[in-house]
Amino acid sequence: MSRGPLLFKDIDTPGLAGLEVYRGLGGYEALAEVLAKMSPDDCIEVVKASGLRGRGGAGFPTGLKWSFVPKDTPKPKYLVCNADESEPGTFKDRELIEKDPHLLIEGMILAARAIGANVGYVYLRGEFAWIQRILDRAIAEAYEAGLLGPSVAGTGFRLDLYTHLGAGAYICGEETALLSSLEGYRGQPRLKPPFPAVEGLYRCPTIVNNVETLMNVPGILANGAAWYRQWGTEKSPGTKIFSVSGPVRRPGNYELPLGVPLSTLLNEHCGGMRDGFKVKAVIPGGSSVPPLPASLLDTPLDFESLNAAGTYLGSGGVIVIDDRTCIVDALWNITRFYRHESCGKCTPCREGTYWMAEVFERLERGRGRSSDIDLLDEVADNILGKSFCPLGDGAAMPVMGAIRHFREEFEYHVTHRRCRVNRRREELDALRSAPSAVEVTA
Amino acid sequence: MTAKQVKVTINGRAIAVPPGTLVTDAARAAEVHIPVFCSHPRLPPLGACRICVVEVGMPKRNRDGSPVLGADGSPEIAWMPKPQTACTTTVADGMVVATESPGAVKARKGVMEFLLVNHPLDCPVCDEGGECQLQDLAFAFGRDFSRMDEAKRTFVSEDLGPVVKKEANRCIVCMRCVRYCDEIMGEDALTAHQRGVRTEISSFDRQPLECEQCGNCVEVCPVGALTALPYRFKARPWDLRQHITICPWCSNGCSVRLGVRGTEILRARGTEHRGVNQEYLCVRGRFGYAFVNGAERLAAPLLRLGGELAPAGFDEAVAFTASRLREIAAQHGPGSIAFLGGEKLNVEEQYLFQKLARTLGTNHVDARTRLTAPLPGDAILKATGGGRPALSLEELGSAGEVLVLGDDLQGEGPFAQAVLIRGQHQKDVHLTVAHPRRVKLARPKFRGEWLGLKPGSELALLNALARAALDLGEPQGMPPEVAAGLPALRQALAAWTPEKVERATGIAPAAIAAAARRLREAPRKAIVFGRALVEHPQAAALLQAVENLAWLTGALTAERSAVMAVGTQNGTQGALDMGLVPDRLPGYLSPADAAARAPLEKQWGVTLSAAPGMTAPEILKAAAEGRIRALWIASDNWLRSAPDRALAEKALASVELVVVSELFLTETARAAHVVFPAVSFAEKEGVVVNCERRLQRTARALSPLKGARPDWETFQAVARALGAGWSYRGAEDVYREIARLVPPYRGTGWGTMLPLGPRWASAGAPAVAGSLTPVADAQPGAGAPAEGLWLLSGGVLFQQGSLSHRVELLQRLAKGARAFFGAGELQRLGLAEGDAVVLEGPAGSLTLPAAVDDSVPPGAVFVPYAYPEVQVNRLGAPSGAGLRVKARRAGVTASVGA
Repeated sequence: MSRGPLLFKDIDTPGLAGLEVYRGLGGYEALAEVLAKMSPDDCIEVVKASGLRGRGGAGFPTGLKWSFVPKDTPKPKYLVCNADESEPGTFKDRELIEKDPHLLIEGMILAARAIGANVGYVYLRGEFAWIQRILDRAIAEAYEAGLLGPSVAGTGFRLDLYTHLGAGAYICGEETALLSSLEGYRGQPRLKPPFPAVEGLYRCPTIVNNVETLMNVPGILANGAAWYRQWGTEKSPGTKIFSVSGPVRRPGNYELPLGVPLSTLLNEHCGGMRDGFKVKAVIPGGSSVPPLPASLLDTPLDFESLNAAGTYLGSGGVIVIDDRTCIVDALWNITRFYRHESCGKCTPCREGTYWMAEVFERLERGRGRSSDIDLLDEVADNILGKSFCPLGDGAAMPVMGAIRHFREEFEYHVTHRRCRVNRRREELDALRSAPSAVEVTA
Repeated sequence: MTAKQVKVTINGRAIAVPPGTLVTDAARAAEVHIPVFCSHPRLPPLGACRICVVEVGMPKRNRDGSPVLGADGSPEIAWMPKPQTACTTTVADGMVVATESPGAVKARKGVMEFLLVNHPLDCPVCDEGGECQLQDLAFAFGRDFSRMDEAKRTFVSEDLGPVVKKEANRCIVCMRCVRYCDEIMGEDALTAHQRGVRTEISSFDRQPLECEQCGNCVEVCPVGALTALPYRFKARPWDLRQHITICPWCSNGCSVRLGVRGTEILRARGTEHRGVNQEYLCVRGRFGYAFVNGAERLAAPLLRLGGELAPAGFDEAVAFTASRLREIAAQHGPGSIAFLGGEKLNVEEQYLFQKLARTLGTNHVDARTRLTAPLPGDAILKATGGGRPALSLEELGSAGEVLVLGDDLQGEGPFAQAVLIRGQHQKDVHLTVAHPRRVKLARPKFRGEWLGLKPGSELALLNALARAALDLGEPQGMPPEVAAGLPALRQALAAWTPEKVERATGIAPAAIAAAARRLREAPRKAIVFGRALVEHPQAAALLQAVENLAWLTGALTAERSAVMAVGTQNGTQGALDMGLVPDRLPGYLSPADAAARAPLEKQWGVTLSAAPGMTAPEILKAAAEGRIRALWIASDNWLRSAPDRALAEKALASVELVVVSELFLTETARAAHVVFPAVSFAEKEGVVVNCERRLQRTARALSPLKGARPDWETFQAVARALGAGWSYRGAEDVYREIARLVPPYRGTGWGTMLPLGPRWASAGAPAVAGSLTPVADAQPGAGAPAEGLWLLSGGVLFQQGSLSHRVELLQRLAKGARAFFGAGELQRLGLAEGDAVVLEGPAGSLTLPAAVDDSVPPGAVFVPYAYPEVQVNRLGAPSGAGLRVKARRAGVTASVGA
């Protein structure tokens, strides 16, 4: 049974990671033709017309990004695939590369050709060592088949692809931090402008695209923008893979046309909640976006509708929070993640995440004060929009959203000195009775 | 201003600034305060600390481009949705900036609060307290209570070597230290460990820093996270008197802010917004002041009566000196008296020193005691363009191509080195370093080429570069008298075939040709030389060769290009300007020129000798042979600086009268008949001239040590005792005379030198005419051994000049005197690191521990000269192309402490 219309159409075909099976399903079929018939500018125009938007979280129009690469520069240009997938709740790129690495390679060939890059890097999350092996094997196959190297598919276009394993920092998913890390420096974001398209890797024009974004490219260039626009909405065309986690019956990756209501994803595709759990809130786009309360479950899953509902599509990591989970506890968990992953470059994120985690801990330990809720909200607000890169915003927005929608749970914490509900209660009781406040962050 | 200006409105104040200006700088111009921490004027914008957040907007535009007007007729502003960091935002025409809007204030207060989340409130025991930017801004923008009452994260404090103390708890992670160390010092000694709130600055291996120990990381730290160990817990800043003066340690002439309590200097700092250096100081400038308060300072004149030096009254010493000078002059003629040294004095003292000599009737006066061969007094000025406007250090740091000839700037001009490293990172400076050793600037991490010439082949390299430059075509823009020399030079240079040059220098002809091409083709270029050429036995030829190369490559004709001479002392340029040379009067006037003598004779009331005197190496020889009978040596440890120790000892023993004015009882002073106690740079006022030919005021930070006097007072007292009618009430009186009589200094005065003095240049025609003159092939000096190891000597960062060994910290950092060999050479000699090695020269030998330094080429040994326990000049004077010594294992092996 097909799991989705586009990227997931054949995803579960056995042996798809191998070149033969991939080709058998039509892979690389249109490559030579596209390379021969379409100029790089044509490719960029088609991708622009398709309305494809970045699938890594920010949703920037892909064709527009490509068009920022300077045309006449003596410098080499680079294509970098962002496979650092570290956003909590997001696990789509992992499955995509693991099962269909050649689609990524094909997408990178076409993207590299469009921007004029002869070298491409795939920056993989540090834990993705086995995926690196899969991808390396596929790249080797592609070289063998003349699909990579000095003359891609006999067209004379040269492309070399390399994989690079990160060292385990969340921040390296931010494109400029990724480039710093790829160059061998400390993984910290860089000042923009200049944007990577103008001055990126080794100070040369560089396009950084997400795995899913690049995998959409072969279909678009082979079939045209109108074909791609059969899915999704006017402003959010195409499909999106949603990684659903939480107590639903069938958690996992789902590819749906953009614009499908969240409730449809949860109820029809994921089979609804398991074991009598009810939805309390859903974080729709990875841990960095504000949660949606259960009352807003009918919101369509596309960039505009989610923005209107006060949150973001993000990376499509749908985290379902059930009615027996304490929202304060959940946010404490998320906040500790950001405290741990803040790179430390800018003050608001470095100090603010630490401070918020301290206040959360106080609330969780039953020592919260009534002023703590506003304090949390204000600390988060002082991070929001003042940090160097979006990591700080990602730490602040969930907290502010949680307080906005679930303030009474925070207040309950202060007045009753415990969670209103919590299926982790026993765990927390143990923590509360522990003598030391020392907490291992590593 | 021809550049288009951009109009910006900051807090309602309209101001026009050049495009590309950062909002922080525009605000400063508009006199609006925007606080910063991570932003630093010498470092690229970072945007990390976020304290400079402001609100930024642009006027809304209609479709036709006209501004949208609000109901009250004022333009409507489209504000950016988020506050922006002023330190990273460049201005745009029409931009509106608000620092006091509710959004900006909230954002700034938020950041301020964050900065204090983990910052300990240990201000009372923090050395930075009272001058801490975080403290000041907390005072300005902070809350009066802390909402963060949970435990703060903590780190363990570390000593990062002997000068840097780290209290990471106070760190606000502005990364200034790491960036400064990397971008300006080129040391990369610091890094950030861990991440997030656990970010901690340290050395890479968390071991003591192995770096230049400049302490600039301490200087740029806006809080007390990095403090200086030598100053730790010594004082509160408000208890210190601050005096800005000029650093005495080299010819770069950095401004230094001395912190003084009572009569003791407790610290030295950069000046932030003043001087050629601003915040920069090297390890000597920052931590090398201890000699001023040294317990061994001379506090009374000493007189040799009955064989022993004994304290005497000043008047007694003056009367004795004057009567002996008078007797000797009467008996043997004034030509039997010579005056040496004075390179470390202020120009007023230098002027009076030569005035004293010439009033006595002798032209035997030379400050350049380290010369190994006679050198015309105007040779350096001629090689640097004869008085054309000099290049400023700032301009040196933005020249496209810089050729550093023979000098290790790390030791000879650390700030010049920092300027070049910063230029590498920020202005694309390309370096060519010609040095037998792979010195710091020649390391592969810097963008440039190293021409590792064989020792002794300096002249060959310069001629080869000149030939390669000439091969690129006729040079343009030379004055006619210079161009006249071209045919003869072209003919002479033809002899320097690539094969011959490669044989001599060991450098591939292609590398030489490429270096010449880079220099020739760079629109802005500079050639830097110093001690290595000036103190070379072939100095006269080498300096002419530098000048030839400069004309042929355009270094003396192209816009904002020049040749820079890095002097050996902070008073080197002043000594030359003041005529502390035997063949030039003050202002490079020739004593043979009656018209030039006339104004001086009128002012001084004497008849000046027209014949040039002897240079320092000639004086040395003459004194040893008994032709010089009286010597006055000013602030110069001559036994160390003279090229031949044995000869200098013989000279001091033969001369009837030796007068020494000094801070300490040096070896030379011990051999004197009269010793006058002098005062240090910090105890006197005057003017010094740096390698940019910039006139800078020094300030008196302390009263002179009781019993000691500035040299000008001593010179005047002796002159008066000799019957001269000198009546200077202070050094400024002397300067007024200089400004009247010395052409390049005309029109200047003490009052015109603050905050930054002018750079002198000849008005109209250069003081010295240039020329293109062929220079002869290097001939081995007579009697020089044709084999053995080439002796490379020079100053090193931690030991340079005659005072560094009197600073305990510098002494400790220098780790003891050693002879440095390349690893291969040491092996060939059958020696291991730490073995005692005997170096034998033509005149004597030295024994010292051997050490490995892979920057030393095969066939050479490097012995820094300034270690107190090493008397390099014992080996004999270099001659010809240099000095060669034999090395062998000493009879007994000694181990050397690390």
